[in-house]
Amino acid sequence: MAGSKQEQLFTKFKEQAEAISARVYRVHDSSAAGRQLENIIKELNIKKIAAAKSGLVADCLKALNTQDVAVHTSDLRRHAEDAELGLSEVDMAIAETGTLAQDSTALDQRLVSTLPPVHVALVRIDRQVDKFVDAVDYFNEQDLMPGYIAFISGPSRTADIERVLTIGVHGPEQLHIIFVDQAGGETCE
Amino acid sequence: MSDKQQIKHNIEKALANENLRGALGRFGNDYVGARERAYTGKDFEELRDQIAAVKGDAADRMEELAGRFTESAQARGAKVFRARTAQDAKDYIKNLAQEKGATKIVKSKSMATEEIHLNEYLGRQGLDSVETDLGEWILQLCGQKPSHMVMPAIHMTRDEVADIFSKETTQELSADIPQLVELARKQLRKKFLAADIGISGANIAVAETGTLVIVTNEGNARLTTTLPPVHVAVVGLEKLVDEFDGVKPIIEALPRSATGQKITSYVTMITGPTPAAYPDGTVQEKELHIILLDNGRTEMQADPVFKEALQCIRCASCLNVCPVFQLLGGHVYGHIYTGGIGTILTAFFNGFQEAGELQNLCLGCERCKRFCPGKIDLPKLIRELRSRVVEKGGLPGGQKFVLEKVLPNRKLFHRLIKAGQLGQKPFQKGARIRHLPMFLAGLTEGRSLPVIADKAFRDQARNLSVPEGPSKESTPDSKEKVGFFAGCLTDFVYPQLGQAAHKVLKHLNKEMVFPAGQTCCGVPAVLMGVRESAVHLAQQNIEAFEQAGVDAVVTCCPSCAQALKERYMELMETDPAWHERAKALAGKVQHITAYVADKSGNGSSLRLKQTGGRVTYHDSCHMKGCLGITEEPRQLLAAAGLELAEMDGSDLCCGFGGSYSVKFPSISSQILDKKLHSMEAANAPTVALDCPGCKLQISGGLDSRGKELPVKHTVEILAEKI
Repeated sequence: MAGSKQEQLFTKFKEQAEAISARVYRVHDSSAAGRQLENIIKELNIKKIAAAKSGLVADCLKALNTQDVAVHTSDLRRHAEDAELGLSEVDMAIAETGTLAQDSTALDQRLVSTLPPVHVALVRIDRQVDKFVDAVDYFNEQDLMPGYIAFISGPSRTADIERVLTIGVHGPEQLHIIFVDQAGGETCE
Repeated sequence: MSDKQQIKHNIEKALANENLRGALGRFGNDYVGARERAYTGKDFEELRDQIAAVKGDAADRMEELAGRFTESAQARGAKVFRARTAQDAKDYIKNLAQEKGATKIVKSKSMATEEIHLNEYLGRQGLDSVETDLGEWILQLCGQKPSHMVMPAIHMTRDEVADIFSKETTQELSADIPQLVELARKQLRKKFLAADIGISGANIAVAETGTLVIVTNEGNARLTTTLPPVHVAVVGLEKLVDEFDGVKPIIEALPRSATGQKITSYVTMITGPTPAAYPDGTVQEKELHIILLDNGRTEMQADPVFKEALQCIRCASCLNVCPVFQLLGGHVYGHIYTGGIGTILTAFFNGFQEAGELQNLCLGCERCKRFCPGKIDLPKLIRELRSRVVEKGGLPGGQKFVLEKVLPNRKLFHRLIKAGQLGQKPFQKGARIRHLPMFLAGLTEGRSLPVIADKAFRDQARNLSVPEGPSKESTPDSKEKVGFFAGCLTDFVYPQLGQAAHKVLKHLNKEMVFPAGQTCCGVPAVLMGVRESAVHLAQQNIEAFEQAGVDAVVTCCPSCAQALKERYMELMETDPAWHERAKALAGKVQHITAYVADKSGNGSSLRLKQTGGRVTYHDSCHMKGCLGITEEPRQLLAAAGLELAEMDGSDLCCGFGGSYSVKFPSISSQILDKKLHSMEAANAPTVALDCPGCKLQISGGLDSRGKELPVKHTVEILAEKI
């Protein structure tokens, strides 16, 4: 993907995602992602994390100073219940709507992004697409339709009482998105 | 109470509910702008063409797609059950729960499960079935039903919610919305974690892949479909689309049209069972049961007219833009599906009898049609429903006599109007009627009525002069022969509109003729469902204008114009010869304002007097919504040297709706209140509009409120400036 196109998409994504109350960061590599995560942890005084495994998540956690925080990567059905932060890597970022897209067939991916009040999502900068329908096409073109595709746009929200917008209902009340420029390992296109 | 009395009772109750009107009114005002912004960069017309194609095709092949979906979903390990009736679906879920030894159920929002009253049923079976959508949970706790398809508890206030939650948790809660939401999160989280079964609906079901698409904001559907080891999805057959690609236009339009969001917080696509954690701590494939619900949908599919309603994507935009819904909310409709589309769905899911009274609530403003992302001609479906109800049950005595006997008999009709002109004298005060005897009191609620003119336009028209100047032979275009279609209001109440039209046309060097054989355009008969009378009136008018041999036909009334341009062809659909004649007439018809703008270079060749001043303009529903005319009158007013002071919501209905203001005077009057408010706020000394019906409603409303704000048809203003 051409550099300038990527920058344009990122600018658009950030604008759209922030408009729906997500927080967007951009870092150089996985260890910088770890440091960004650490800032979030400190700011929110997080003591327990549930993380769905992936290469990028593992690298990010390596860079994290874990002295004051318990990090769980297994038995997540139990741990995600009272974890204060869920960490995962998503497959794609959609600029047009500020949306994250993920094949969430693995249970852990869904647990860490639904149960804890804060969700931190890592995404590789080269995994951006422009339009929502591009992401739909991407999944449609796979040999087998994934069992559970999740599109996430901002934190959970409701306007069910008097149409007053309230952030954070059943899902996370905060969504932090960390873009990683040089994630290493597997890349796309 | 009869259905009719029940509805009247519900209407009065809703109109007295300030909270409801506050919330709905605010939403109605915000919605249009939010929706518009969400569609920025998208071509709505193209999207809705695509949706209509995808969903129309799916409706045509509903049974085939149900079969394909079943195969695809089964191939991925789901169990698919075809439920013919609501009871079949409920029994299946009850049996499943028994088989699993399950007692605790969480539900995410689903209109299909509301439609079959699933919660009440499961409750009676001793199962604890909890709604997890915030709005639905509030309603479940207080035993109410949703009043809106997308925002089920929009009729309730924070204080009411605090009371309900206080009762539920036996603690005193303040009416602080974030705290109430937080409480719901905590209470329902326990339910999610303990549930044996999760029940959801689906917004789209893809036959090609067996995929379910669920669109939500709160995140409850993700928990419902992730935590319990059994997932049951209840899906109406109309949710099917053939190919996965068909998801795209729907997913683009649904959030934008529903809530003015570009996308909802969550879109979930589920294909077959996925892993879940079982109570023993193991992680295994869950059980996925998909119930394809018929419950009247096959019958709808088999109906050549109502099949179109299956193109609905349940965005509720037809509710959000409906002036009647905005005042009354959903409970008046008495069933789960509310508003215009709800009236149609109720006819098939609950019976035509029940929908029979509901269809009367439609004003006929046709605003919903412009907004529908499924491209459903909802006004047409409501007219059809009306006409079938009338065919079956007939009209009440008085209406029956007028519509079936009087209206089609032009001479009798006109004689009666003239008799009415004498009969009104005792109640007349100046040029208006302020009070009528009790039995007609509804007519003057919230507005005074103009009196019937001493001399109808048809009687004045005999003496109209023709323009002098070059003959037809020398300049073929200049002496165009223009037939004037008056319509009842211009003919008998506002003959001055006919005079003004004549003055302007003469100034344009056109010969205006008034074919005396013309009569009522037939719209009242169409709207009341008396098709036979409408056909009869249409034929009289077609003949009258054919005999006059005119080049063009103009009218001051957009509703008449639409009848002549579109409705007549619809009425003659089964009669090819008459259809041809209707088509020939339709091709000549224009609203006077559009005609004048067209022939005068938007007013420039009229050389109007430039006396200055300000004017505010009301876009009549049938002028803007049906004929698509908005720019022409503004251009002409500008050409008359008038400064345009736009009012808020210039295209919101004035509440007239022909006989509607007689049937539901209290609704009509409250819609009018809203209109008058924004009109006055524009702070202009004159109101311009292009519909005699709106003129009657608005000037009557101003007069009964003691306001002296002149309300003029564009053609009247032009005539003054010549």
